[in-house]
Order: sequence, then C-alpha cells, then structure tokens
Amino acid sequence: MLRNEPNAYSVVWPRGEKTQDIAPLATRLDSLEGKTVGFVWDYLFRGDEVFPVLEEGLKQRYPKIKFVNYDEFGSTHGGDEHAVIAGLSDKIKMTGTEAVISGMGC
Amino acid sequence: MLRASAAAEEAGVPSSSLVCEGFVGQAGTTSSGLGMPNLPLAMVPGHVDVQTNDELRANVLDVTVDDVIRNLTEQPLQAQAIQEPDPREILFEGTFEEVNRLFLENGWTDGLPIVPPTMDKIEEFLAFTDRLADEVIGRLLPDNREATIWNVAVNGVMAGCRPEYMPILVALAEAMADPSYGVEHSGNTPGAETLIVLNGSLIKELNFNYEQGALRDGFQPNTAVGRFWRLYLRNVAGFLLHQNDKGTFGNTWRVVLAENEDAIRDMGWTTLSEDAGAAKGENAITISRYTGGNVIVSVFGNSAEKILPYLGDSLVKHTGWELCFTVGLATGTYQPLLVLSPVIAQVLAKSGMSKRDVQQWLFENARMTAAKFEQYIAGYTNLVPGGRSLMEMARLGQAPKVFGESNDPQRLVPVVCEPEDILIAVSGDPLRTNCYLFIHNGMLGYTTPKGIELPDGWSEKLKNARNK
Repeated sequence: MLRNEPNAYSVVWPRGEKTQDIAPLATRLDSLEGKTVGFVWDYLFRGDEVFPVLEEGLKQRYPKIKFVNYDEFGSTHGGDEHAVIAGLSDKIKMTGTEAVISGMGC
Repeated sequence: MLRASAAAEEAGVPSSSLVCEGFVGQAGTTSSGLGMPNLPLAMVPGHVDVQTNDELRANVLDVTVDDVIRNLTEQPLQAQAIQEPDPREILFEGTFEEVNRLFLENGWTDGLPIVPPTMDKIEEFLAFTDRLADEVIGRLLPDNREATIWNVAVNGVMAGCRPEYMPILVALAEAMADPSYGVEHSGNTPGAETLIVLNGSLIKELNFNYEQGALRDGFQPNTAVGRFWRLYLRNVAGFLLHQNDKGTFGNTWRVVLAENEDAIRDMGWTTLSEDAGAAKGENAITISRYTGGNVIVSVFGNSAEKILPYLGDSLVKHTGWELCFTVGLATGTYQPLLVLSPVIAQVLAKSGMSKRDVQQWLFENARMTAAKFEQYIAGYTNLVPGGRSLMEMARLGQAPKVFGESNDPQRLVPVVCEPEDILIAVSGDPLRTNCYLFIHNGMLGYTTPKGIELPDGWSEKLKNARNK
C-alpha cells in the first residue's frame, strides 16, 4: 500500500433519482362484449397479420365486440412516434375506444 | 409499444401489450420506467418473424387471445414503489475490492473495476464546471431518471476519467438527454453503439489521440470518456443487458474519435461539428449511433476521380436493412459516417473538391437499384410492411421525389435522402491510405451535436490538474 492510499473508500450511489412515480392502471372492463377495442401498432413484427387473427378470436368469445383499426392511430414507432403517442388520448376519445391492444414488442 | 399502452392507461383506458416471448423480460423493466411496472402483457410464443402463417395463427388463438382477455378484464395487483438511496449520501464504506464487489453485484459497472466514487474525487470533477451539482440536465428514458451534474461526476470518476474531462462529460449527458437523439431506443435488438466525435482545442489540450490508432483504446481520454458514456447509459438511463438492453449482439463502448483539425484547416474543409451547426473552432461533441462499420483498405489513386468510386462502392455495399431509415420507418434519418485518413482527404482537396462536393458526388453516384432497395426494407426484412414500392411512396409524399423518378426496378436510387446525410470526418494515421465507414442506426440514435462549456479559469485549473 502506498503512503497516501486509503484503506477504505466511502462511496455514493451512481444512479439518478426516478422522475416517474408509480401510476395507477385504468379500471378494467367487466366484459369485452359490446365494447370498442382499438388496435395500436408500431408497424413492426407482423402486426398486420396478428390483429386480424386476434379480432377473429375475440369475436368468437364476444360476438358484439367492435374494433378500431390501427391506421386510425398512426405508427407508435418511427419518425412520428412522439406526436402519435402525444395524440393518443385524443384519438381514443374521438374513436370511442374503451380498451387498447398495443403491439408488437419482439 | 409500451409507451402507447401507458398513454392509454393514463387516459383511463385499459391496455394489453402484445409481446413476443423474448421481449417479456425487457417489457417488465421498461414498464417500471414508465411508472407502471404492472402493465399487463399478452404473449405470442416464440418470434413471429420465423413462424408460418398457420403457426402464427395457432399461437395467437391458443395463447394470446386468452392473455388479452385477462389483461383487459382482470385488475392487476397494485404496484409498489421501491425505496432507493439518496444520491448525495454515503452508501457504503469498504476496501477497493469490497466497493467493486458491491457495484458489480448491483449492476452498476460494466464488469471491469471502477474507481470508487468518493466525495473527494467527485469534488475534483465538480471543480471543472461552473454549474451547480444539483442541476438537472434532463430526464433519461427508459428508467426515467434524472441526469444531473452530480451523477455525471460520479460516473466520470468511476469510468477512470480525469477531472478536467468534466466539461466534455456534461456535454455528453446533455446530448444523451436531447430528445432528437432518441436515447430510449438504445436497447433495441440491432445492438448499435454510440460514437462520440470530438472537435475543438480540447483535442490537444487534453491529449486525445487523433492520428494513428484512432478508434483503438490505449489513450486515457479517448478510452475513459467512451467508457463514461456506457456507464452513464447503464446507471442513469437504465440500459442493462437482460433487462432494458435487448441487443442481439452488442459492441463494447467505442472510444472517442477526435478529428485531425490541422489537416482539416490546411485543406480549407469544415469539421464534423461545424457541419452539424457548431461555430468554427468551438469545442463540441457530436454523437450518433452506428450498427457497425468496416475499414476501407488501400484506397489507390492520386485524384478524386480515381478515389471516389471505391468510397462510393463501400457506402452502397455496407448499407442494407438500415435503408428503412432512408425511406419507410423514419424517412430521412439515415446518416452514415465516412472517416477519411488525412492523406486521402488531401487527395480529394487537391483535386479541388470541398467536403460538400464529395457529399454531392457520393449522393449522385453511390446508388443501388430500386429493386434491391425495396428488397432490403420489405423482402429480406419486414421493416416497412404494406408492400408499397419506392415509386408509390414517392407519389404519396412518403419518400423524396428522387426515389420515384420512374417505375423501372433497375433504376438507380441513392442510399440517403440528401447529400448532407453522408457525414464525413478526418482522422486516423495521416500517412495511411485506409478509410473507415460507419453504418448508421437512423432515428434510433440520430446525429446530435452539443457545445462544450468550459469553467471560468479553465487554463489555470487545467495547469494545476496536470501537475497532480
């Protein structure tokens, strides 16, 4: 050990404070029957094929369910993503969307 | 995708997020950063891109539909906040080995030993900025943490930087927090890595290497500042492997590239930072994220006419799926970087070419067929779904006109939208005829410049620091 080398180091935490508090999730629906569900897409990973299959599967369980297609909302990934996400709340209201299915993360 | 789900939840609408099996882990950590660690997920088994239509259909109907119904009709458990330490309080006291073990076990280091961030060391760094330690520089996604002058100093100490690098580190944190850079995408699957380019008098004042061996570790400022970038991404933005960083393959951090400004001034060219908007001679960093690169070896010729075709050929040959950032996914954000060794740049300059002339020549001549371009974005990959041709996208205003001049699939189209999108820097061994090409990750790490602010009394402080 060199003359001026300390035996012990008192160190601090290297991270930053969180700026986002825990936020509550929305209240879930009693049933999807008769409800309007919006498909929101990042235009990646075969969402254009996955959403029609989902629609078919959900309609089998809930014959009166309705859907809002992803082109109503715009792409949530890519050059316009910040604007699309910032405008999502308004689009949800305008389209009467009561639940959102957002894809695709792969 | 998760940000959209969080926006829906904030609007009072329940969401279900569709994820392939391999994304489940990252989805959990990203959701935490959004303040909703309990965002519900609906899984698609495997990866959709390698499944037949029948397999995809069966997976969605057998697994995903049930998950979606559960997500939208069953209330998830309330999430609880985790108590974290105060950044300004002493967290731990121990030997060098004990401190390093603590940091390694908590994921606060890259695997190499760190310099323990003690108060004395941090104060030395803070002396090289006039800004208050508590100043918030910005908010870094995906963890949504504060970037502060304080934690810049802490991570600078840990990375093995010298205190006098602090003004550069602050500029880097500012660039990382700049929304135009898009730090939130730093964990995407292509695993691209940021390159920092330095310009200004600091190159010589702080002894950055800008000649032979550029881009190689071995010079303290180039290496330690590069390491700082990766530690800051880890500790403040929150990019850890197997969590928010899902790069399929990654790179170790890139060491800082400093330009050879003597050569640039002799030729009457501009620096990269000046091209990006900095004032002439200003100290500045320019960051951008590159998926990879390659050396262009033994460039042969004594005129621009002889040299440029090889450089153009390399630009076309190394640009593939990234074309989705030229047209399609984020049109106009693809900006490859060509690093010329000084001797090659000088041949171009002696031929009467400015940097603008070189960019223009490459824009007009480094081209590929429209059919090949379309194959990269919507054939080999599925990055631009919808099956639209370049011609059609140009007609709809989704691509510059140059991409839609005819419907001949064999017509030649550029690989960037504008000549200025081909960035050029000058560095490396001054008397070698090799160049280097970096392939860009488009909007997922867009070229972002920042000026470097020096503290009052810089020269005196630097002189004192050199004697330590």
